[in-house]
Amino acid sequence: MGPIELLHMSVFSQSFSPCGRFLAAGNNYGEIAVFSLSAALSPDATDASQKPVLTFSAHEGPVFSLLSTDMHLLSAGNGEISAWSWAELGKKNPKAVWTKRPEYKSSLEIPEINHMIINSRDNSLVVGGGDNNIHIMDMETGTFKSVLQGHTDYIHCLSLREREGEILSGAEDGAVRMWDWRMGRSVHCVEIYKYKECARPQYGKWISCLATDSDWMLCGGGPALSLWHLRSMSPTSIFSLSGSQREAVFHQDLIYAVGEGPHVSHCLLGGSVKAQIPCTPSSLNTLALNLGTTEHRVMTVAGSSNQIDVFTNFSYRAFSLSF
Amino acid sequence: MPLSHSAATPPSLKLDTETHKFDQKKLIKDMSSDPLKKRKTKVIRNDGGTPETKRLRGDGDQDVRTYNEEVELESRDPEQDYTLYKNTCEALATLMGEIQELKASGAKEGSVEVETKRRQGCSHFITLKKLNRLSHMRLKKARDQTHEAKQKVDVLHLQLQNLLYEVMHLQKEIGKCLEFKSQHEEIELVSVDEFFKDAPAEISRPHLTKDDPHQLTLARLDWELEQRKRLAEQYKSSLCTKEKILKGIELKKEYLSSLQPGLQAIMQASLPVQEYLSMPFERVQKQAEVARHLPPPLYVLLVQASAYGQACDKNLSVSINGDVDEAKALSRPPEDSQDDESDSDAEEEQQNTKRRRGTVGVQLDDKRKEMLKRHPLSLCIDLKCKDGSVLHLFFYYLMNLNILTVKAKVSASADLSGAISAGELLNPESLLNCLYASDDGQETPNPTNRYQFDKVGITTFADYVSELGHAYIWVQKLGGLQFSSDTPQVEGVHSSLSASHMESTIKLLRGRLLARLALHKQFSSLEHNIVPVSTECQHLFPAKVVSRLARWTMMSYEDFLELGFVQHVVNAGLVRETDLFFMATVERGTARLQAAVVLNPRYPEITPLFSLSLLWKGERSGRTDDNLRALESEVNVFRSELQGPRPGLQLLTNQIQRLCVCLDVYLETESQVCDGSEGPIEFPREKMCLRSVRGPNRLKPFKYNHPQGFFSHR
Repeated sequence: MGPIELLHMSVFSQSFSPCGRFLAAGNNYGEIAVFSLSAALSPDATDASQKPVLTFSAHEGPVFSLLSTDMHLLSAGNGEISAWSWAELGKKNPKAVWTKRPEYKSSLEIPEINHMIINSRDNSLVVGGGDNNIHIMDMETGTFKSVLQGHTDYIHCLSLREREGEILSGAEDGAVRMWDWRMGRSVHCVEIYKYKECARPQYGKWISCLATDSDWMLCGGGPALSLWHLRSMSPTSIFSLSGSQREAVFHQDLIYAVGEGPHVSHCLLGGSVKAQIPCTPSSLNTLALNLGTTEHRVMTVAGSSNQIDVFTNFSYRAFSLSF
Repeated sequence: MPLSHSAATPPSLKLDTETHKFDQKKLIKDMSSDPLKKRKTKVIRNDGGTPETKRLRGDGDQDVRTYNEEVELESRDPEQDYTLYKNTCEALATLMGEIQELKASGAKEGSVEVETKRRQGCSHFITLKKLNRLSHMRLKKARDQTHEAKQKVDVLHLQLQNLLYEVMHLQKEIGKCLEFKSQHEEIELVSVDEFFKDAPAEISRPHLTKDDPHQLTLARLDWELEQRKRLAEQYKSSLCTKEKILKGIELKKEYLSSLQPGLQAIMQASLPVQEYLSMPFERVQKQAEVARHLPPPLYVLLVQASAYGQACDKNLSVSINGDVDEAKALSRPPEDSQDDESDSDAEEEQQNTKRRRGTVGVQLDDKRKEMLKRHPLSLCIDLKCKDGSVLHLFFYYLMNLNILTVKAKVSASADLSGAISAGELLNPESLLNCLYASDDGQETPNPTNRYQFDKVGITTFADYVSELGHAYIWVQKLGGLQFSSDTPQVEGVHSSLSASHMESTIKLLRGRLLARLALHKQFSSLEHNIVPVSTECQHLFPAKVVSRLARWTMMSYEDFLELGFVQHVVNAGLVRETDLFFMATVERGTARLQAAVVLNPRYPEITPLFSLSLLWKGERSGRTDDNLRALESEVNVFRSELQGPRPGLQLLTNQIQRLCVCLDVYLETESQVCDGSEGPIEFPREKMCLRSVRGPNRLKPFKYNHPQGFFSHR
């Protein structure tokens, strides 16, 4: 990897290992790097410990989504999903355990996969991407058992309401759809850009981030980031953040959001922006919280740079991991 | 002893007293006979006179009746006197005891018995007095005798000292004599055996010398003298012969030099023939003649370059320039011309002569000049290219710094005056920069030079580069000079080092020239806002490209650093001062794309780096717009697609062309994404795209697929 490639690198996805000691990150060249958080966070950390312990080429296209299960790291490339054993990665042995492709109809271009989530209720993998459809794969058998159709443009993001058994999806067409995965059909469709409070026509109508917490939903993109009450299906707070947001999460009465602009926004549920913490990349694609362990509780953000910023205290950047 | 004797013999006391009595009587008689005399002698003695004077005086005063106590003293035995003394004491004690008894028994004062006893006591006292005097005289006498004897001993001791000193002196003299060195000892004489064998009998005189080493040495010295005389004569005669031979040589030389003009005329006449037959014997010969005076690094370079030229590259030619006579003068004595020491000696000598005149400032200036002095001879290597342009490389050797420098010049086949922005391309100052990575020739590669510079107050070699030429590391290697950073001393000149670098360096030089010439040509059309795309690269771009190059200008390093949208490149350390900087402006309609280009001197090996800033509905750059960033990477990263036929001389123009194409895509898809409700769409969609946006950061399709002619995502 030359200096020019590094200069033009973007990091799209991150995932912590189930043990919480490793961080996997995927970039636009189809590479996945595994960083050792325990080494980087140890008191005697050096520059070398901020470099990946393992970098391997996983896919041909960019790695837009990474996901960890108890055993495996799932990575999504151009139209394919690969599973890598965390145990093997720990031994620096990158070999795909399996690779699966959803059945796509179009042949001219292989659709990308933008987001994956695990539905632990029936142990299935929910995949959304470039073909406008949601594919559900049974993790036990490895077969794609159903397809949810309805969006008119590609799907950016997915979210799961476990208690209600609902899957939420946000797409380029500007709609957030709620699906009943047992019946395999859309139960609700909210077109956010049609709400005057949220709409930002100068940007567009796409929905690029989505998060849920019981009855609450957070979504944003072209329209402004907004907090919705799902039972009443109405926006309760609008966050006045410039640029489109690409990832937002709930965490302890706060909302963390990243997107265009070199900062992490801390928002209060009431609608005000509490703080914007500067970081290295000029725009951010992904934010991840390592909450599985108490030992390495960090927030990592990455975007249009080869550097991944690590926040040990969420209110300032501690250091950067780099490809 | 006498005391114990007296104590031990009480029975004999009576007899002793008897003799005593006799003695006493005699003594008393002596004393009473002449009490006056005795007193008189006493007076005389008190006057300090010696016994002799007293005697003399006595002789004069009284003729016969002399009494000499000293004479009496000699006749008396001290042992007897002692006994007498003891007896007298005892007798006195007895007398005293008897008087005591008498007095105790009631005898009257002045009774006969007591008077008798007192008289007896008085005589005893007189005896004691006499004895006392005698003992005093004896003591005096003994003292005098001791003194006399002591004086005698002193005299003898002095004599002994004198004698010892004499002995020592004589010994010293003997030592001196023994240590005496004769001059003849330094003369190397023939050995004794040889002497007896060679020398005639009248000199060797065996009958004398056989047993007497002194005579032998004298004889040998005689023989030595004889021989030396003979040799001196021989030397004189040899000198004469030499003189004669020299004269003969002179004569012959004259004859030979008279032949020279004739020969030269013949050579001159043969030149056209040589040329006609293309056999440059003479030129080669001349070069070899001159080459003898080259300094070692240039000589190595000459040999290796001409060898390489003959073996692999017919378009490479080497020639020697400069003043041969000066070089000859420099390398005198001619046999030592290959030696570095002679150089430094010459340097010192010249410095010495300079030191004598001028002030300190002039002196330092002179020293500096001296330090940076070039060897009078230089090498010129000409590299011809297929199109007829020539790269002239002039190699100089800085004698006192022991480094090689190079100056370059290009003589192009075609007229190259057209392009303004291309001025820097063939600038001899920067033409050869970074032939190998980060070798800019601004610093001297010889670590010892730093200390030399400190001495004469030169801060950096870069100040003299324009005058002296660049000291690239590859130049040193071609000259066989190796400077390793950890060992400062120069390890001599290695031809193998030169040989190992020759081929790759010549190839790089040729590549550099070709690249620069190609760029030069491309620049002149870029300045006319035409992006030249060769037929081999047509397939990389769609037929219709609407965006146009509007401007192509050169930029300085400082101007480049001031641009806002290149800071990420600067911070990543991808910009060096040796790079060339350009600004390309691509326009379509109201949109204006500025591209700052960093052109590494090693182009096309290193891809030119574009940084973008788009002026359209506000300003955007690669930092604020992910799509512009993707566009930058489309241009910068995918070099293998864009470089065209090897060695990739069309890389830059293809990059610019791709920039135009991608700007089309950017603008067309952008207007479609934004709601075009306000008035007519400025950029109607003409490019065929499968999808206008893709992925989480909604990138546009910048990749062109050739035969189908549509755009897709990476």
